[in-house]
Amino acid sequence: MIDLIHVTKRFGAATAVDDISLSVAQGELCVLVGTSGCGKSTTLRMINRLIEHSEGEIHIDGQQIRRFREQTLRRRMGYAIQSTGLFPHWTVARNIGLVPRLLKWPAARVQARVEELMALLGLSMEAFAGKYPHQLSGGQAQRVGVARALAADPDILLMDEPFGALDPITRESLQDELRTLQARLHKTIVFVTHDMDEALRLADRLVVMHQGRIVQQGRPLELLREPADGFVESLLGGEDRGLKEAALLPVSQRMLPLGPRLLARERIGQQASLREALSLMLWRHAERLTVVDDDDLPVGELSLRRLVGARSDG
Amino acid sequence: MRTPRPAPNVVLLILALVGLTAWLGLESVSVAANRIVPGTGYRVVEVIGGGALLVTTLPWLALAGLAWRPSRTRFIVALVIVVLMLSALPAWLALSAAMLVEGGQARLGIAAGLWVVFFLLLLAMIELRTRLALSRLVGWALLLPPVAIVGLGVARWLSALALWQEYRSRSDQFLGALGEHLLLVGAAVGASLVLGVGLALAMRRWPGLQRVGFGVLNFLQTIPSIALFGLLLAPLAWLSAQVGWLAALGVSGIGWAPALLALVGYSLLPMVRNTFVALEAVDPGVIDAARGMGMSRSQVFRQVRLPLALPVILEGIRITTVQAIGLTAVAALIGAGGLGTFIFQGLGQAAMDLVLLGALPILVLALLVDALLGALTDILRPGVAE
Ligand SMILES: Nc1ncnc2c1ncn2[C@@H]1O[C@H](COP(=O)(O)OP(=O)(O)OP(=O)(O)O)[C@@H](O)[C@H]1O
Ligand SMILES: [Mg+2]
Repeated sequence: MIDLIHVTKRFGAATAVDDISLSVAQGELCVLVGTSGCGKSTTLRMINRLIEHSEGEIHIDGQQIRRFREQTLRRRMGYAIQSTGLFPHWTVARNIGLVPRLLKWPAARVQARVEELMALLGLSMEAFAGKYPHQLSGGQAQRVGVARALAADPDILLMDEPFGALDPITRESLQDELRTLQARLHKTIVFVTHDMDEALRLADRLVVMHQGRIVQQGRPLELLREPADGFVESLLGGEDRGLKEAALLPVSQRMLPLGPRLLARERIGQQASLREALSLMLWRHAERLTVVDDDDLPVGELSLRRLVGARSDG
Repeated sequence: MRTPRPAPNVVLLILALVGLTAWLGLESVSVAANRIVPGTGYRVVEVIGGGALLVTTLPWLALAGLAWRPSRTRFIVALVIVVLMLSALPAWLALSAAMLVEGGQARLGIAAGLWVVFFLLLLAMIELRTRLALSRLVGWALLLPPVAIVGLGVARWLSALALWQEYRSRSDQFLGALGEHLLLVGAAVGASLVLGVGLALAMRRWPGLQRVGFGVLNFLQTIPSIALFGLLLAPLAWLSAQVGWLAALGVSGIGWAPALLALVGYSLLPMVRNTFVALEAVDPGVIDAARGMGMSRSQVFRQVRLPLALPVILEGIRITTVQAIGLTAVAALIGAGGLGTFIFQGLGQAAMDLVLLGALPILVLALLVDALLGALTDILRPGVAE
């Protein structure tokens, strides 16, 4: 659990972070968004004391972070950044084992943990353990970066635009993996990103920052439906807000049980988003879709009326 | 399908043709009645006659032919020929000595043509090594056969060689001078390494020092070496007169003390600059991650910053050492000893072979250091050791 209480950071006369309060619960994935220079990285780096806050208090599990030695505090938190920060002169395996070794785990335990993490992130031991960072693709390097952050099984993960330098497809697959991992591991994660789709997909709690202040925070759907002001509205997508919302809702939420009518020809999975359903309708000129489960068996149907007007339609 | 014919390797072709021209046209060796009088030059044809001359053109023509339609196999053959030719040069000197030199005083000198041939063959070897993508180490190993032949033959068959005679008449002196030279270079590089790394660390700690520090070092670097030796003369002489134990140590206005001081002065700039730049240039993202993972300051420095900076720091040591090897030759002027002594003695006596006796080992030393430290740098470059 992380609590920021009236935290301010000043660099000389400039105020980078201005009196923010934020609470991230155990197991919650909190995403910070905002325009460049609004203080996201500064906020993140204050949590592991790479930057010392000027005013206010930051607590981890109810204890002030200043009570801990810097190193002790940081070894309890995973840290992943956009440039990966992998050590170029160390192999992948050695990079991943960094924090366990700092914590003086016995060599056999480090080795076992490295193998476990590489398996978890889909990096085969034979192919990657002995490679150096410059021999990896961007996506592979980023996986290694995440594995290294997870190495000592910290409760807290701090991630600063970890997927920022990747192409959209690799980025999406890593986002999916992060969601799967999070469903299993229940870490407390603070995640900084510029990419609004990424933020909306990943966030349990979305925090919008502007000029060092928090303008609004809450669940992604809340922010989409009731933006506090024009800035939040435009940041979250402006005209595209309807589509962004549809992307967050699964088809299963709006489908109707199978009726007496003939099955529609076009099919869609019940886990797909309403946005995908709408896209399929547009593409196939279809007003009705058959909703199928994971085994491709029909479980319901979705009409265009139902999709767009659910709140009034019965 | 016909494979297109490979284009000629122009470099090797030109080296072979120019080499052949030098071999035929320029004076290859010279003979002098004693060490002072200028020698008479001889072209190859004047040593062995026309028929044998024709035979000696064959390897050159073979090289040119191989370069005309190159392939990997042909390059290997060419490399073998070049190594054999290099190994044959000492034999050629022995043969010339046998044909031309009579009487105990007379001596054989190496003339322009043979030097040219020697360097062209070295260049050809480098070109072939590059084409065949052989490692540096193999390149050096290829020099072993010619060196071995010189080593074996020098005492028995090359005794008429002027260079050898100069060496033999002062072999103790030579070893002493070599020792002094190495000692001075070692001490200067060692001292400037310690000082330079210390200074670079201080500059990183207190950035205010950078402007002043680099200003002074740059200024030092611009003073001509002779002038710097001169400038140190008076203060050191005064110091040794005032402080008894300094004089007892052998410190005075001339000799090793001012030489060492000046050498350290010159060595500091490349040392500090490379160390400083190397430490500063480490990717800030890597340092950020290292600190963020919970490494202490000293762990970050010892396990991350220093190892990543090491290749560039070694580069500084390499530049500094090669530079110091050359500068130490000049230090002979103020009585510091070393191989420079022979150069200046030889210049004074107009005995070119004595100059060579000083200059050649300096050249070889510089090349050796360059190669060894260069190889070390390659090994230490991060993430390439496999
Ligand atoms: N070490 C520092 N010294 C002085 N000013 C700083 C420092 N670090 C950050 N700042 C300033 O603080 C402000 C917030 O920076 P921060 O890095 O937190 O922005 P950000 O939201 O992460 O931006 P981006 O999305 O571009 O990464 C910026 O105006 C920046 O110039
Ligand atoms: Mg940032």
